[in-house]
Amino acid sequence: MEALFYNADDGYLEGIVRGYRSSILTNSAYINLTQCETLEDVKLQLSASDYGPILQNEPHMSTSMLSQKCTDKMVQEFEYIRAHAVAPLQQFLDYMTYAYMIDNVILLITGTLHERDTRELLDRCHPLGVFDSMPALCVATNVAELYNSVLVETPLAPYFKDCLSAEDLDEMNIEIIRNTLYKAYLEDFFSFSQTFGGPTAEIMAELLQFEADRRSLNITINSFGTELTKDDRAKLFPHIGRLYPEGNLKLAKADDVDQVKATCDVFLEYRQFFDSMSGATKTLEDRFFEYEVHLNKKSFQQQFHYAIFYSFLKLKEQEIRNIVWISECISQGQKERINNYIPIF
Amino acid sequence: MGVYSARGNGDGLPVSAFSLYSYLSLSGLGLVLLYMLLTGSGEQFNVGEFLLTISPHMWSLLGIALCVGLSVGGAAWGIFITGASLVGGGVHAPRIVTKNLISIIFCEVVAIYGLIMAIVFTAKLEDVKDANVTSSEMYYKGFALFWAGLTTGLCNLVCGVSVGITGSSAALADSQDGQLFVKVLVIEIFGSIVGLFGLIVGLLVSGKV
Amino acid sequence: MSGANNRLAVFPTRMTLSVMKQKLKGAQTGHSLLKRKSEALTKRFRDIVKKIDDAKRLMGKVMQVASFSLAEVTYITGDIGYQVQESVKNAQFRVRAKQENVSGVMLPVFESYQEGANANELTGLGRGGQQVQKCKDTYIKAVETLVELASLQTAFVILDEVIKLTNRRVNAIEHIIIPRYENTITHIISELDEQDREEFFRLKKVQGKKKQAAARDTLEREARQAEEAAQRSAGSGDAALTGKGSGHSADASGHSVAASGHSADASGHSVAGSDHTATASLSEPGDLLGGDDEDVIF
Repeated sequence: MEALFYNADDGYLEGIVRGYRSSILTNSAYINLTQCETLEDVKLQLSASDYGPILQNEPHMSTSMLSQKCTDKMVQEFEYIRAHAVAPLQQFLDYMTYAYMIDNVILLITGTLHERDTRELLDRCHPLGVFDSMPALCVATNVAELYNSVLVETPLAPYFKDCLSAEDLDEMNIEIIRNTLYKAYLEDFFSFSQTFGGPTAEIMAELLQFEADRRSLNITINSFGTELTKDDRAKLFPHIGRLYPEGNLKLAKADDVDQVKATCDVFLEYRQFFDSMSGATKTLEDRFFEYEVHLNKKSFQQQFHYAIFYSFLKLKEQEIRNIVWISECISQGQKERINNYIPIF
Repeated sequence: MGVYSARGNGDGLPVSAFSLYSYLSLSGLGLVLLYMLLTGSGEQFNVGEFLLTISPHMWSLLGIALCVGLSVGGAAWGIFITGASLVGGGVHAPRIVTKNLISIIFCEVVAIYGLIMAIVFTAKLEDVKDANVTSSEMYYKGFALFWAGLTTGLCNLVCGVSVGITGSSAALADSQDGQLFVKVLVIEIFGSIVGLFGLIVGLLVSGKV
Repeated sequence: MSGANNRLAVFPTRMTLSVMKQKLKGAQTGHSLLKRKSEALTKRFRDIVKKIDDAKRLMGKVMQVASFSLAEVTYITGDIGYQVQESVKNAQFRVRAKQENVSGVMLPVFESYQEGANANELTGLGRGGQQVQKCKDTYIKAVETLVELASLQTAFVILDEVIKLTNRRVNAIEHIIIPRYENTITHIISELDEQDREEFFRLKKVQGKKKQAAARDTLEREARQAEEAAQRSAGSGDAALTGKGSGHSADASGHSVAASGHSADASGHSVAGSDHTATASLSEPGDLLGGDDEDVIF
């Protein structure tokens, strides 16, 4: 059914996004990139791709500059899509930016609590998570004021309202706040994407469930040997993943990686993450990225759904990570690990 | 950029909007029915008699209108679906635009089927004297033209949508990989043949008139 | 001071000779002590140079690994620099300075240690936390290497300075002070011999004069006795008295020279005296670091 009405509003944008998707670097482009000896070679290789024009006028290549420019390019593409979008796609795209917004708000809260320079803080924010009233957050002088301005000024207010109080902002570790917010965001985004029904709901469910499970696994593994208690850990697990509820319960009780592995053994897709962990050059994170890329690639197999917008952004992010990784390897002369990037297409 | 507090509750989405409309119209109809029944004029609600009181002229003209209207609607819908994707896909790969006009033409063909059928049906129209208009022969002619037109119209509507969706896929596939165009086009042709079935059946049904 | 004639301006007396001999001995002891010190320092210096070389190579490697692990973190978690900065309240990695004594030279030694809780243990909780910790560990290692390198480098600079100073002293003693004393001693000895010979000659002369006078006396006495015997008259011993008077005056002038010589000797003594303190301080050479007694040596 979605095929009948989808194109009325979003057909053009879908075509655009698919056009962007076809400009994502292919495996052969990556192979060429890995052969480069200097960053100038990288620039030369990239000049044939979509990144060519933005790098053309840069006299000095550096990895940070490269990452900056590539992110700018991605943001520019995303903004184009957002400018042409109408509801409900508009809202869907807004939801996608909330993830970056959480990071930005956390950054601003941290900075404001430590009384840092506002301008410097705003410069450091991720451009996708920028919202109009961001500078207003920096005006706050104490925690209560900050909490109120977050509630009034940011689109993240519901997450803050439901999960945190003003005292939490002061007392809790900033990482725990971040993860609490992210959990609320994921759950909200999930329920929002499910209202669309059809392939959008289906594919977004898969993507977001994996994202949630990945967070749960990461939080579990990263909290081993830290001050984070098991109860607190359990509170950070999103309630939407495939691991929920039984797997999450097991993860909350896990004490070492083996128990995490046992939890994931039930799921065929997740089992591979922990297979032959020792000796392999790929880390768990690499496998997660790989699987994420796989899922996002899959969402392009279907037409007439919103998940391609989400997938496109994720793939583009991965591409930037790949390019930065390769150029970092080249500039630091660590060629032996240059192939750790994750090929997309 | 305008960012607003967005908490979707699902209202205003196509699917639920349609169910809302159908719910409203059904309940409205039910109210009228109930009113007639309770005010003692329930016997007026006689579907068979109602249908027989309609003139065969009405039936045949309705058939023609539905035939051309649904066909053109289907074609337009298909063109719209294809066109939107074609424009979007054409931004990154301009080469596909001319090639994929063929999908648009396939959709257009559907409208032409409807038009041809409408012309054929119109040729069968003739003015009949009042005395003969209620004869069973006239009823047969009226119903035949009506259902032939509806068959053709519905077939063409669905065909147009089908060709449109396939055409949209063809455009997007072509923009990714030029080799895919012909392959998807074959499928598109199969889709457009569906419209011909309606056309044939419509011709057969109206042929005995 | 010119070449072989380089010697102290002292009056050649036996006392000066013994003083000089003492000074020469002191200088030689000082020389051997300083030489040994310089050798010890050089040995240490070579060790440090070797260690610095190793440390620098290690640092190159460690820093490379560290910055690469940072690249890994950026790959997985994105930019966390600001967050890491802000979550730190107290430094966990600290440096303590100690002093080490190497043959009297105080070398600063930096020691690193860790204190307090890990402020960033939850960083990257949702993504890449392990990499963040790994990166932190590699950077701690890198900073440890840096601290080690810093203490080695400081030691290197100080030792270099001290070794240069000591070598200069050793060379000064060996090539200037000892030859000077030796020259002075040979000079004094030759002067004394000369004096001895003069004295001997004078004594001979005096003896000769005395003999002459005695001979004349005898002659006169004999003549007088002969005269007395002949005349029996007295009063002819004045000539001997005048001879004695002139000898006295010569002795007095010699004395004045000796006095002036003594004043020269005194100044020489003051030089030697300060030199003595230098040699005396060799037992605790750390004081030599001051360097303001160089002038005295030259």
